[in-house]
Amino acid sequence: MDEKKAVHSGTAVSSTAVPVHTDTTAKWFLLSAVVYFFIVGIVAIILAAKFIWPEMLGTVATLTYGRLRPLHVNGMLFGWLLAADMGLVYYLVPRLCGVKLWSEKLGVATAILWNFIILSAVVVLLGGWNQGLEYAELPLWLDVLVVVAWIMFGWNIFATVAKRKYVQMYVSVWYIMGTILWTAFVYLVGNFAVLFATGVNQANLNWMYVHNAVGLIFTPVGLALAYYFIPKSGNIPLYSHKLSMIGFWSLAFIYVWTGAHHMLHGPISQWLQTIAIFFSVMLLVPVWTVVYNFFATMKGQWELLQTRVELKFLMSGVVFYLLTCFQGPMHSLRSVNALVSKTDWIPGHAHMAVLGAFSFFAIAGTLYTVPRIFKTRLHSASMANWSFWFMMIGGLGFFVTLWLGGLWQGWQWNNPAIPFIDTVVALGPVWTVRFFSGVLIFLGIVLFLYDIVATAIGASGSEPIEDAA
Amino acid sequence: MQDYTYPSIFLAYLLFAVFAGGALYFLIRSIKDGYWGKDSEEVKYRMLADEENKYGE
Repeated sequence: MDEKKAVHSGTAVSSTAVPVHTDTTAKWFLLSAVVYFFIVGIVAIILAAKFIWPEMLGTVATLTYGRLRPLHVNGMLFGWLLAADMGLVYYLVPRLCGVKLWSEKLGVATAILWNFIILSAVVVLLGGWNQGLEYAELPLWLDVLVVVAWIMFGWNIFATVAKRKYVQMYVSVWYIMGTILWTAFVYLVGNFAVLFATGVNQANLNWMYVHNAVGLIFTPVGLALAYYFIPKSGNIPLYSHKLSMIGFWSLAFIYVWTGAHHMLHGPISQWLQTIAIFFSVMLLVPVWTVVYNFFATMKGQWELLQTRVELKFLMSGVVFYLLTCFQGPMHSLRSVNALVSKTDWIPGHAHMAVLGAFSFFAIAGTLYTVPRIFKTRLHSASMANWSFWFMMIGGLGFFVTLWLGGLWQGWQWNNPAIPFIDTVVALGPVWTVRFFSGVLIFLGIVLFLYDIVATAIGASGSEPIEDAA
Repeated sequence: MQDYTYPSIFLAYLLFAVFAGGALYFLIRSIKDGYWGKDSEEVKYRMLADEENKYGE
């Protein structure tokens, strides 16, 4: 194969040098994200406790449920998960493109701005400065800063991709570029256009944003990470790149239509509800292409899960991704929706997506990446393993309990003879299990934080590992 | 008070159309760039060798 053809098709060209990556931006984003994961985890525990002891901290305005809940949601989504995703994107895009990051200075400036946004969000949300729209609680001036930070991030990544060494891009790069563009669309509609709409139209735009925040922001960037870290952690090639492209393009054309399924049986048009249901069920296509590809990649390699903790997180995340993406289309069916909508089933489903699937991908990526960018070894693989089992057992307890509780709640709500307050009291045992499951998840977060920080701190005091080559 | 509902929804539709058009363009570009041809699997082998892998083990 001649050099030109090799570069076009993506085969490594031996004559070109491997660029030296400084990864300063990735370090900033990943370390701050892990710290936010811990801090917002404390908020999550307080919220779970309030379900059992509603009076707890109830007299302190800043610590009431209404202030802490948006802080938990925004903190986990933007402080932990999106920041970790961005840090990992800064790590893998230059490597996949065979060049250095376009600008580390711009990357660090983005990280500083992002941290300013997150810390400001903590202050304004605890202070009760809230737009009252789900996932879009931040005030307008912070929304503007998010857009500025996203443009800085997008510019840096696209400029890196533009100067890549290879014409043909790995599927993760496609998903990352999709994430950057789709986030622009989803965030602008969900945080700006929605402010000028009223009534049902506003609710419809808001649900389009909420659903696509997961589907067109966290899903594509999460899959970008999984497509990168599963082959890299196991040192095994992906089963089929062509199949991964089918998954990418089917996601691109299907996902955006599904948001209205949050308003089934509501005051929106029946045709709009039916379109949302149709495309929700169609989502099984991209989901299955992704899941089949990962399982086929692991075929004959499953013993790697015994030694590679990143793969444990990744493949568990894939299973949770399959489950959550099977639940989603099923929820959109009118008959199922009439039972589970607005019940505790939904937070069970949402936590499986954001924690079980996408946070597991980000945790795996962080465990893989941090030792490499600090040029050292992971502080403790055993601690990472314990972290996995705490999160796995706690997560399963959390998800399954809320599904069962949600079904029970839905059945009670569909019986008009049962007073509403009785349905609240009945869920007490469910919320107790939820709290203790949350404690287990939090213990996993604490171990993960310690492991990552100890790796980073330990690296500064030790000599870099000698080149084995 | 002026109602901006329709302009805001038209803005959302406009953004949607722009992005759907962009997606269609890049889907066709991907065919031209060989992502669906016989060399489309090469990239998955190249990504395994994109960095020195001596750290983290």
